Order: sequence, then structure tokens, then C-alpha cells
Amino acid sequence: MAMSSMSNIIEVSQLQKSFGSLSVLKNISFDMKPGEVVAVIGPSGSGKSTMLRSLVHLEEVTKGSIRISGQALVENGHYASGAAIKDITAGMGMVFQHFNLFPHLTVRGNLELAPRTLKRKSVQEIKAASRELLAKVGLADKADVYPSTLSGGQKQRVAIARALMQSPEILLFDEPTSALDPELTGEVLRVIRQLAEENMTMMIVTHEMSFARDVADRIFFMDNGEIAEAGTPEELFGNPKLERTRAFLMRE
Amino acid sequence: MNIDYIIQISGPMLEGARTTVLLFLIVIVLSIPLGMAVTLMAKSRFKPLAWIAHTYIYVMRGTPLLLQLLFFCFGLPQIPVIGQYLVMDRFVAAALGFILNYGAYFAEIFRGGLLSIDKGQHEAAKVLGLSRWQTLRKVILAQMFRVALPAVANESITLVKDTALLYAVAVPELLNFAKTAVNRDFTVVPFVVAGIIYLLMTLVLTLFFKALEKRFKFE
Repeated sequence: MAMSSMSNIIEVSQLQKSFGSLSVLKNISFDMKPGEVVAVIGPSGSGKSTMLRSLVHLEEVTKGSIRISGQALVENGHYASGAAIKDITAGMGMVFQHFNLFPHLTVRGNLELAPRTLKRKSVQEIKAASRELLAKVGLADKADVYPSTLSGGQKQRVAIARALMQSPEILLFDEPTSALDPELTGEVLRVIRQLAEENMTMMIVTHEMSFARDVADRIFFMDNGEIAEAGTPEELFGNPKLERTRAFLMRE
Repeated sequence: MNIDYIIQISGPMLEGARTTVLLFLIVIVLSIPLGMAVTLMAKSRFKPLAWIAHTYIYVMRGTPLLLQLLFFCFGLPQIPVIGQYLVMDRFVAAALGFILNYGAYFAEIFRGGLLSIDKGQHEAAKVLGLSRWQTLRKVILAQMFRVALPAVANESITLVKDTALLYAVAVPELLNFAKTAVNRDFTVVPFVVAGIIYLLMTLVLTLFFKALEKRFKFE
């Protein structure tokens, strides 16, 4: 077990993505260890979201490799088979900027739709899990309402609970608080912080600098399609090596 | 206007209304699934299928319904060689024309409904592990029907009134009975009665769709 806990849960090497002559990702390489929390910061259009989304195959890359728990999602630009991709990404949950809740289902329905459809667990287990996770995000009393009646912060907490229903090994967050009113970000960040304390492996694309500094083990600063600088929050915020990192942090 | 006369003509007119209702039900029940299938065909990644769907929609929407009804009732049997096998009961032929015509309109309504669905819905479903087919069934269709509901209601009410086109292919229905009574009795009353019967039918539909919209408000 000691061996496996030391091995990387995500291995990304020389990832590239381009649309014609425009390259969105240029040679991205990094590893993540289980339980690690990485915050990805950087200006808009720097490729943060594209990089994150490529990890769950919402974007296809042009070149490079992605390995999840040792299994190759894409190897030197060649993707695994459809079934293998499904299998490899099954352990990854994703939380979107705009929540992407299913508006035609209740909160409970949102949590239970995928597990009930995929039938990997009994209905009893699924119901128990949804009840437990709604309580965890502080929304036990909202199980039977529709998402349209919730605030942004509540919606995002439902989205997190929904992602947790698949018992993910890795959770990805794509700007989870960017669509929220400032006074509602706290409740979402609290839930993410709690997950960090429970050693959930997470990659969080965010504009919340103080949160990133607080919750992350490592920070990636992305600029112009590459990870320009990476380091601990102390290194990156306290003593950025690059002028552009410094300039970005000044602006934020 | 005398009550006895109205009661006397109402019998045969309601008889005619039965044909109207029967046609309406047959067309609704068959053209909505047809429209759904055509929408999915039009979105197919297999291009010839999409091309067939678009052509079908273009032809059915681009020509008058009356022409299509005449074509099915009186045109098909005139086709050389195979025409003799295409002689159908006029009601059946007209119903076929209605189904094909309304199927095309429903296809366009559903396509509009699909366009309104944010791609984030597909992405969320995909990340949760649902297949494309599961996503369509469990996530997309329910939302599409909700968005399409007012347009479907509108189209259904139009269909009630379009059934009067049966008159043109000499299938006895509500309007046909009214016209016969007007000619026979030299009075406008049968037309008024027919109008009221149409209004009652569309009222039932309006209330039905209102209730559906309320039921699927998701609030």
C-alpha cells in the first residue's frame, strides 16, 4: 500500500492541443499524488479549463499522454477505446462553473440519476448515499425541491454532492465560484475545504487567490497555454520566480 | 334560431365531430413519435440519414397540406403500374397525409427544443458516466418536451382546425355535415353550431396543455 500511495494518480506529459494554427495547450506536463490538492490559476484564455476538461475527456488533445491511476486515457495523442475511456474516467468527478444541474429533476433526482441508470449499486444504497451526501453539503432539507428554487451557492453544493455520488478518486473543479455572487462563494469553498481535509485528490481551476493559497498543496500558474510556474503556495505567492507570475498576482 | 332545430341537427353534427376527433387522435398519436424520430435522424452523424430527414421536412413544410391530401387520396392511384395498389380508403389516405405533414412540423418543433438545451447538460451527463443514449433518454428528452410544449399545444390546436380539410377530399366530418345542413335548410345556424363544437374541442385541448405545462414546471 505504501508503494501505491506514493505512485501518481494523474500523470500528464507533453500535452498539446491546437485548433489549426492556434495552440491552446503547449507542452503541458505534471503529476499528481493521491490526496493532493492542486489549484490552477492564471489569466482567462490561458488554457486552464481546457487542460482540466481534457483530463475527463470533455476535450480531446492533439498530442501527449494522460494516465489516470496508471491507465492511459491518451498515449502520444492516441486515445484508448470508447469503453476504456469510460472506464478510466469513471473515477473522476467534475464540478462546473455553471453547475449544470438537471433542471427537470429534483435535487435528490440529480444525485441519483446516474447511479440508478448505471445500476452499479442497489436502490437502497443509492438512496442512503444521496441522503448522506446532501447532509454533508448542508442541504438535507432541499432533497425534494427543483434546482430552479435554489441559490447559486446551494446549486453548486448540490453539484458537488452529485459528483461525490460516483465515489470519485479525483474531483475536478472548473471555476466553481466564478458564477456566484461574492457572498455565496464562502459556503461552496467551505465544502471544498472539507473535502481537502478528507484527503480527496482535487484539481481546482479558480480565481479565488486566497482560497487557492489556503487549500492547495501546489499551485500551477498557467499562462498562454503552458504551466509557466508551479510550486507550493508559499513559493508561488511569496516569491514568484517569473515576472509574468508576479504581474498576474499583482493584478488579482 | 330555434332550440328544437339546433337539437335536431346536433345529432348528425356530433356524428361528424366523431370523425374529426378520431382523425385528430390518430394523427397526434402517430405524428409526434414520427417527428421525434425525424429530429433524431436530422441530428444523426450518419449524413445520408440527416439528409433524408431534412429533405422530408422541406417537402412537407414547403407544399400546401391540401395538395398533400389530394395527392394521397386522388394522386397516388393515378401513378402508372403501381397506382392500382395504392388505392386506399379516403379517410386512411387523408390520415396518412396529415401524419406525414404534422410529423415534419413536430420534427422542427423538437429540433428547436433540442437547440435550447445547454451543452453543459451533455457534459454533466457524460462525466457522470451516462452513455449518449442514456443521456438522450434521461436528460435531454424530458427537457426538450418541456421547452417544446407550448409549440406542441399550438400545433395541436391547428390540427383540430385543419381536420376540416377532410371536406376537400369528401370524407364526411363536422364541417361536411354543417355545409349539407346549410344547403338543405337555408339557414346559417349549422355553421354556428359547427363553430361552437370546434371551440369546445380546442378549449379541451387548451386546458389539457395548460395542465401539462403546470405539471412540468420543475419548480
